[in-house]
Amino acid sequence: MTEDFNNYSEPMLEMFMFETNQSMEQLEEILLNIESNSKITDDDINEIFRIMHTIKGSSSMMMFGNISKLTHSLEDLFYFIRENKVYSLDLTKLSDLVFSTIDFISLEISKIEKGEEPDGDEGSLTSQIKDYLNSLKEDNPTGEIILSEDENQHENFISKEGITENSIKYIAKIFFQEDCKMENMRAFTLLRDMEEYISDVSHIPEDLFDDNDASEKIAKEGFSISFVSEENYEKVFSLLKDGMFVELVELEEIEIEDYKLSDSEIKEDDLEEDASSGIKKNVNNSFSLNKNKNIISVNVEKMDMLMDLVGEIVITESMVTKNPELKNLELESFNKAARQLRKLNNELQDIVMSIRMIQIGPTFHKMHRIVRDMNKQLGKNTKLEISGEETEVDKNIIDTLGEPLMHLIRNSLDHGIESKEERIAKGKDERGLISLDAINTGGDVVISIQDDGKGLDRNKIIEKASKNNLLTKSPEDMSDKEVFSLIFLPGFSTKENITEYSGRGVGMDVVKRSIEKVGGNIQIESEMDEGTTISIKIPLTLAIIDGMKISVGESIFTVPTTTIKESFKARKEDLIKDASDNEMIMIRGDAYPVVRLHDVFNLKSETEDIMEGILVMVETEETSYCLFADEILGEQQVVVKPIPGYLRQYKVKDSGVAGCAILGNADISLILDISGIANEYI
Amino acid sequence: MKKVLIVDDAAFMRHTIKAMLEKNGFEIVGEAENGTIGVERYRELSPDIVTMDITMPEKDGIEALKDIRKIDSNAKVLMVSAMGQEKLVKNSIIAGAKGFIVKPFKEDKLVEALSKL
Repeated sequence: MTEDFNNYSEPMLEMFMFETNQSMEQLEEILLNIESNSKITDDDINEIFRIMHTIKGSSSMMMFGNISKLTHSLEDLFYFIRENKVYSLDLTKLSDLVFSTIDFISLEISKIEKGEEPDGDEGSLTSQIKDYLNSLKEDNPTGEIILSEDENQHENFISKEGITENSIKYIAKIFFQEDCKMENMRAFTLLRDMEEYISDVSHIPEDLFDDNDASEKIAKEGFSISFVSEENYEKVFSLLKDGMFVELVELEEIEIEDYKLSDSEIKEDDLEEDASSGIKKNVNNSFSLNKNKNIISVNVEKMDMLMDLVGEIVITESMVTKNPELKNLELESFNKAARQLRKLNNELQDIVMSIRMIQIGPTFHKMHRIVRDMNKQLGKNTKLEISGEETEVDKNIIDTLGEPLMHLIRNSLDHGIESKEERIAKGKDERGLISLDAINTGGDVVISIQDDGKGLDRNKIIEKASKNNLLTKSPEDMSDKEVFSLIFLPGFSTKENITEYSGRGVGMDVVKRSIEKVGGNIQIESEMDEGTTISIKIPLTLAIIDGMKISVGESIFTVPTTTIKESFKARKEDLIKDASDNEMIMIRGDAYPVVRLHDVFNLKSETEDIMEGILVMVETEETSYCLFADEILGEQQVVVKPIPGYLRQYKVKDSGVAGCAILGNADISLILDISGIANEYI
Repeated sequence: MKKVLIVDDAAFMRHTIKAMLEKNGFEIVGEAENGTIGVERYRELSPDIVTMDITMPEKDGIEALKDIRKIDSNAKVLMVSAMGQEKLVKNSIIAGAKGFIVKPFKEDKLVEALSKL
């Protein structure tokens, strides 16, 4: 398998994985629909059949035998259901089989993604599917009659064409290896080799010999053939694949109506197949390029590189236009050109950002499956409502969002939503509700997960926190919000509330950390017996932030502008010290801690007198405090760069530095981690 | 090991093909510089595969191919063609050549062609 596997080019493999993953998502959606409506429609059956057929074809082309065998068996099952109009179906059984198939394929795809061999054993699942098919066949003997009638019709139709009843009609497209030369003669040789197996052949280009461009056309567009054969798909495929210098074979079985395509029809078909959702056709040309001509798919790495480059350009631009050597020069036309450059760069930046934005819908829809599985497992009846699916977020952020969301949904369902009995006793609807919503609030996206379960129990949380020594002040002084945020502390989640689902050794602290990693924050509101709402606020994008430059000694730090509340000079009478001799400052009747940045980073600064420097008040989710710096230098947009790898050995994580940025004059500035500093120094 | 007979009027081509094939585990059992000798050698050596140049003096590749197929209708003959000889390639295919390769070719193409025969 490995050798064949390697024969395929990377883009083709990527396309295979991409399309298969997409089909899996589609399939999952169909199934969840079937389950929630408790019925299966003809369209559903057709669609599942079509998806299986497609994956069977493409996986067999990629030589992933286990996937193609499994999908083949499911295809057979749905073929039978479709052809015999079997309505008395055990939907639970059926959807379990399909779900297991989805899981199997997804696992194999993830192996392929990691560069591993997709070596899962499909055997037992395949035989389960076959057993079910056989039981259907026993229960539906009438089906046979319908089927044979159907076949009679086909036979009549076919006999007009002079083709026997076992014939299958195919359309194939063959690509030869680059540089194999004389493609037209390659095609001719292939036709000769296939001669004894196929009949009623037509092909494009029609004329292989007199058409001077035939070779070139085949090299570029492939050699399309339609024909009839008594051989099955696998056999025909391998006959074509074994042709000399054959690089790629796209083969599809088609139904009689669609058979015999003229040149123009094939072309039109290629474009419109999807739109017409041609159910009659069992389309299997999964490798044809994206049918929607207006969309291309781009490797994320390339997008990251592009984003990076745009960032560099923005920085370089200010390095040029704000170059110290230009000071005091009369530069009228230079400045005009610089302004124009700035404008264009801004546009470029906006466009690149917008390309990276993708809708959150698919991430949300994955949660349906989790709710379904957990409902089954826990015997609950919970509905998941989704809104705001079209909200767009940076691709990188979406990628890190899946896990935390999954965890939160699991938590809601496991600990939030009560059992059916409990709900009825409370006078609630037996059916629990979890709503997942996303909304764009300008610079941020707020995602909320709301359940109508039992809500958080303030007293229990306090009890537990004190047992684990997590309380830092007396419970009576804590607001509900403060109490609820205790569950995000490392060490809060203990074994007792870990079940198969919400547990897995991951606590809410991990959820919080992954959200914070993408610059977001998380908040809880809860009302006993009413439910819990968890809101996650995440930035639209990570790459570029507005920053305020402040200086400490010779260093320049960047404070994310969104965290800054105000800045001011301290007045002597406002300065106080708390019991442990920590500096505080009184502002409008409240005391705020002062954090001296030169102490935090061990810097030498001329400005150590708090009256001389400047105080910048920043806020985090939990608290507000004042940073003490020498002076404010001004605002600048910066491109956030991760801290270089060689520095990571120095435990930079909790050092109060979130990243770094290059300034207009090519200096490096560290971006302050406002909540990190709060955690460490207050 | 597959036994190969090389039929080509150019010593350079015979040499090149031989070198490429020997490197890839084929055994060159004989060489011939024209069609007539090629057919004789085929009869003597019964090789598994023949590489057959098309344009040769005395008896050309297509005639030699036809003669060889009279000896063994299943003979595996790979035609070696030059650019622009499409008509001749077509005739060879009709005459029963299993495949063809076009000069200039690289080692991997030759080896692949032979292994597909």
